[in-house]
Amino acid sequence: MTPIIKFENVTKKFILQNQKTFKEFLPALFSRQKTKNNLLALSNISFTISPGESLGIIGPNGSGKSTILKLIAGVTAPTSGRVTVNGRVSPLIELGAGFHPELSGRENIYLNGAILGLSQKEIGRNFDSIVNFADLWEFIDQPIKHYSSGMYMRLAFAVAVHTNPQILIIDEILAVGDAEFQEKCFQRMEEFKRSGVTIIFVSHSLGQIENFCHRVLHVQHGQLIADGPAGEICQQYQATLT
Amino acid sequence: MLEIVKEIKAILRQHELLKQMINREIKARYKQSILGYFWVILNPLFQMLVMSFAFSIIMRVPTKAANNIPYSIFLYVALLPWNLFSNSLTSACSALVNNASLITKIYFPRTILVIATIIAKIVDFLFASIILIIFMIIYHLSININIVWIIPIFLIQQIFTLGLALIVSAANLLYRDIQYLLGLILLLWMYLTPVIYPVDLVPEKFRFIFQLNPMSVIINAYRQTILGGGSPNYQSLLLAFLVSLIVLFLGFVYFKWREKTFADNI
Repeated sequence: MTPIIKFENVTKKFILQNQKTFKEFLPALFSRQKTKNNLLALSNISFTISPGESLGIIGPNGSGKSTILKLIAGVTAPTSGRVTVNGRVSPLIELGAGFHPELSGRENIYLNGAILGLSQKEIGRNFDSIVNFADLWEFIDQPIKHYSSGMYMRLAFAVAVHTNPQILIIDEILAVGDAEFQEKCFQRMEEFKRSGVTIIFVSHSLGQIENFCHRVLHVQHGQLIADGPAGEICQQYQATLT
Repeated sequence: MLEIVKEIKAILRQHELLKQMINREIKARYKQSILGYFWVILNPLFQMLVMSFAFSIIMRVPTKAANNIPYSIFLYVALLPWNLFSNSLTSACSALVNNASLITKIYFPRTILVIATIIAKIVDFLFASIILIIFMIIYHLSININIVWIIPIFLIQQIFTLGLALIVSAANLLYRDIQYLLGLILLLWMYLTPVIYPVDLVPEKFRFIFQLNPMSVIINAYRQTILGGGSPNYQSLLLAFLVSLIVLFLGFVYFKWREKTFADNI
């Protein structure tokens, strides 16, 4: 089977400008201070993901997990190497990106849906189902700045799961909402999995990863340390932590 | 060139997103204000009233060249497109920075963010124009067929605006100084454009500055066609059109070049 995502010797370097403003930059330039710092976020990583796989990515903070997700989402380009993605990506990274606090829940559903690539018609068709999922009928015409953070996340997740992705990226977002809502989210993700959606799941909860994914990548300091069955890799990772 | 066609196709494919972004831009702005969208009209109206007082009653800018047209209208015809230009650039400048959370998460044509802010300002402009129409009716100012010239003039203005908007929005991502610098430049630029005075007051030896400034040609052309009832100076307008196209092309190239690193720099 042709892989749906392919990383070939991918390296990502960030060039960090030390001086954020021109006022800081000019004197630094003249006094020959360093104006740039290189940060190696990923070094020479290769892996492939087949359609329908559910893959977990684990590793400590700053290990390069988010960079991998950004490369898959196509918002940043690798410094060297090649990233190939053959499918419609729906990112559930930091839910509610693009929500506007002054707009109502209803308006934000349309806005966020459009950002995630849904047409107005598709959203209209799924509107009831989205609000049902979020369980927010009461507040749907209120500006979302009055929402609690749990309500906000429920709305965002509800829109996101009504997209029709081929690749679903989930970054640390299932820690939101009450137990009941989390359960609902996992059910929905299981449905996605069964219908053959490729899922890439980043979490610090090894329990969630082990339950949900069959394969896990372990990254550390921008390097791919291990790639294998979920149970095995999670156990190894657990061992390095203690 | 191929890149431009590709970008236009990508934007058309995502026209629903563009629509929603424009919607957001317009709807969200005046929420939680009593007068709401009415501010779009009040703002230039008061600006016009105060400036008219300052420049026709205190300073007495002579506008007799323009057939006894009241200064307030003489001013407003230029102030409206100038405000459109200035507001478009100002809001486009922070269009990318304000949407950092989107840019780092999801891929879509980034130009949509810039275009959406400009279109939202065009909608404001159309509403603010109602005042001009009312004033022209009150003062019994007639228009003639040459009024259709405002369509190409308007398009040239938008080409020029979009080109500059692409440059400032992308540059502002790197150095936030751009937004402050832009405020200063726009202020000075307005005085170098015949908004508050007629272009014929400019001494002959400085006219070349006005020839090279597309905004000057554009503003003057609006006046000639709306108030003068004549046709614009074709040669100047053509030059402004060419300059605008070049600016748009350079703006697009610069934007595309920077675009690859937007998510890393934001």
